[in-house]
Amino acid sequence: MMPRRWWFAFLALCALYALPATAHKASDSYLVLNVNGKEVAGQWDIALRDIDFAIGLDANSDGDITWGEVRARHNDIAAWALGRLTLQRGGACTLQVVEHLVDTHTDGAYAVLRLSGTCPANAQPLSINYRLLFDIDALHRGLLRLDLDGVAHSSVLAPEAGVLKIKAGETSRLAQFGQYLVEGIWHIWIGFDHILFLLSLLLPAVLVPTILVNGAKRWIGVENFRAAATEVLWVVTAFTLAHSITLTLAALQILSLPSRWVESAIAASVVLAAANNLFPVVSRRRWLVAFAFGLIHGFGFAGVLTELGLPKDALVLSLLGFNLGVEIGQLAIVAAFLPVAYLLRNTSLYRKGVFVGGSILTMLVALLWFAERAFNLKLISG
Amino acid sequence: MRPGDSTARELASLRAAVSRAAKETPGDPIPATKLAERYFDLALARGDPRYVGYADAVIAPFAASPLPAVLSMRGQLRQYRHDFDGALADFAQALRADPQFASAHAWRGAIFLVRADYGAAKAECDALQALSRATLYGACMGLTLAYSGQAEAGFAALQRALASTDDAGTRLWLLTRMGEVSAWRGEPSKAERFYREALALGIDDVYLLAAWSDFLLDQQRPAEVVKWLANWESSDSLLLRLALAETALKLPAASAHVQALADRFAAARARGDTTHRAEEARFELQLANNPAAALKVAAANYQVQREPRDARVLLEAAIAAKDVAAAQPVRGWLQSSGFEDATLRRLGAASSQLPTSNDVGRKP
Repeated sequence: MMPRRWWFAFLALCALYALPATAHKASDSYLVLNVNGKEVAGQWDIALRDIDFAIGLDANSDGDITWGEVRARHNDIAAWALGRLTLQRGGACTLQVVEHLVDTHTDGAYAVLRLSGTCPANAQPLSINYRLLFDIDALHRGLLRLDLDGVAHSSVLAPEAGVLKIKAGETSRLAQFGQYLVEGIWHIWIGFDHILFLLSLLLPAVLVPTILVNGAKRWIGVENFRAAATEVLWVVTAFTLAHSITLTLAALQILSLPSRWVESAIAASVVLAAANNLFPVVSRRRWLVAFAFGLIHGFGFAGVLTELGLPKDALVLSLLGFNLGVEIGQLAIVAAFLPVAYLLRNTSLYRKGVFVGGSILTMLVALLWFAERAFNLKLISG
Repeated sequence: MRPGDSTARELASLRAAVSRAAKETPGDPIPATKLAERYFDLALARGDPRYVGYADAVIAPFAASPLPAVLSMRGQLRQYRHDFDGALADFAQALRADPQFASAHAWRGAIFLVRADYGAAKAECDALQALSRATLYGACMGLTLAYSGQAEAGFAALQRALASTDDAGTRLWLLTRMGEVSAWRGEPSKAERFYREALALGIDDVYLLAAWSDFLLDQQRPAEVVKWLANWESSDSLLLRLALAETALKLPAASAHVQALADRFAAARARGDTTHRAEEARFELQLANNPAAALKVAAANYQVQREPRDARVLLEAAIAAKDVAAAQPVRGWLQSSGFEDATLRRLGAASSQLPTSNDVGRKP
């Protein structure tokens, strides 16, 4: 990345650190390294004041460092800095300065060295030996931001901690997994269509359809918790299995469907699931419904994952994390829903209000979603 | 700010002496220590921590030296980094080698004062008296008394110390502290006289300017702070006072300075530097309007430094964050020390009459 502020700094170069608002702070250099296999690219910002103190830049000793004075010493600056930084990956890496720029930080002007290099091996641990300025400024620190094969690390390099050894992709894998796990949980929590679909299938789990003596059909509460829990388990497992299959296929780019089609179908699935509660077509094997529509919801999850972007090097792990997150979010909903529904199952509040009323409301909302998504209208959601 | 010509020449000759000694008398730490002392003076005068790093590196090769001057320099550098235990040990070792080494007692006294250990501080002051160092003794004892509830006696001790010295740097230090003690005693016109006398010495001193600015801010005179600190943006602690004054006056420059401070504290955090936490707490409280963050930083700072200004920012942050418990260490100190500043006493009382943070949380 080209530092944008560089141009302003360039214009102000006539007197680099005689600027009045320049702060006093302890010395830091900013080292950004991208190591991808054998390739090394990077940028190293070192304060001109520090370079001056180490090798002397102020040629005419007038107290100001000018652009000309810096340019005249480009080779010296590169040799001095590179002599104090060693990278190793299966042996010493070559390193050279490919471009000299200038930038400003809070305490004044910095030389910006753009680095490029090659390492002997592409899969070994990387070791960094940083020695800049430690011999003359014991409070100097190197602030390192390293991207090693796509995994980010950051570190403060100090005199007693100037040597680092980083194993490729080790430290952050777990963090990455956790990050996708949280995204999964978050997505199910904010994904009202998924929640409503699941709830529509779960609402009847504490009820059984019965034909009364007079021939009328009605729902009555299940006899025991076990029956309700078994039903929920079947539904949730089928939904999970189905959406895991399509989520994986879509995330690995084996199968893909247009998102408008997927989103509309998800809305339609909610309409149908809610309608099925009011006018039962399927009442015994609801897990089949959960499985069939779960396949569509999986494509929906995959859409989110595409937006997040999956890291190439940790594809499967991130996918697993996201999927697991979705399951955790889902289980939390079930855990909150089931005991309450079970306790209320024989009340008319549940049978009429929650079951019938909730299903009607769900169906209406989902119909609106469907209209919005299928015909690209703006009805309820801004 | 870059060293002026005379300073640059002086540094050049001290550096030359160090390289000469490295060749001719290797292992002689005295030239390096002299250079380190000069660097350290520059760091304090200008609030520029790079010179502390230079000083540290210059004496690093002599880590094993038993010479009191080297140990004392290392102790000063350690206390700068808030490694107070390490610093106390260095000064103690220097005193074992040279029991007459008065400045080691003075430094130990100063560290004990920062830690609010007034008994230990007094012992160091007594040692200075035993060495017949009247000025150092007066400075040490004056502050110890003033911090521990005997402001009048403390002021008198500082005054006697002032009468005993012609050294401009020492006078500046004593006058600054007399200004502070007078302000604590509720005598602002007297305080102003001492501050002005100190400023009239014409020596750059970040501590003096910070104390004077705080005094002016307390007196609701922010316009004068802006005038005095016009060219001191480079020092974090003075930029803080400048930004406070500009904010009070609603000047356009305030927002850029507040942003600059935010950047600098972020930069300090990035390198793991925690030596400016008292200032950072004030920044969070009075400029960033973030009492919760201010309280966290102020409480962490109070674990390490317990001078009146550290106590004050913790009380103010606790009041703003409505956290009675967080201010308890300061109330304990106010009670045990008997410290007399009316402002701090008022804040201490106010901090104990807050709804607790739990009560606040329970309200809708």
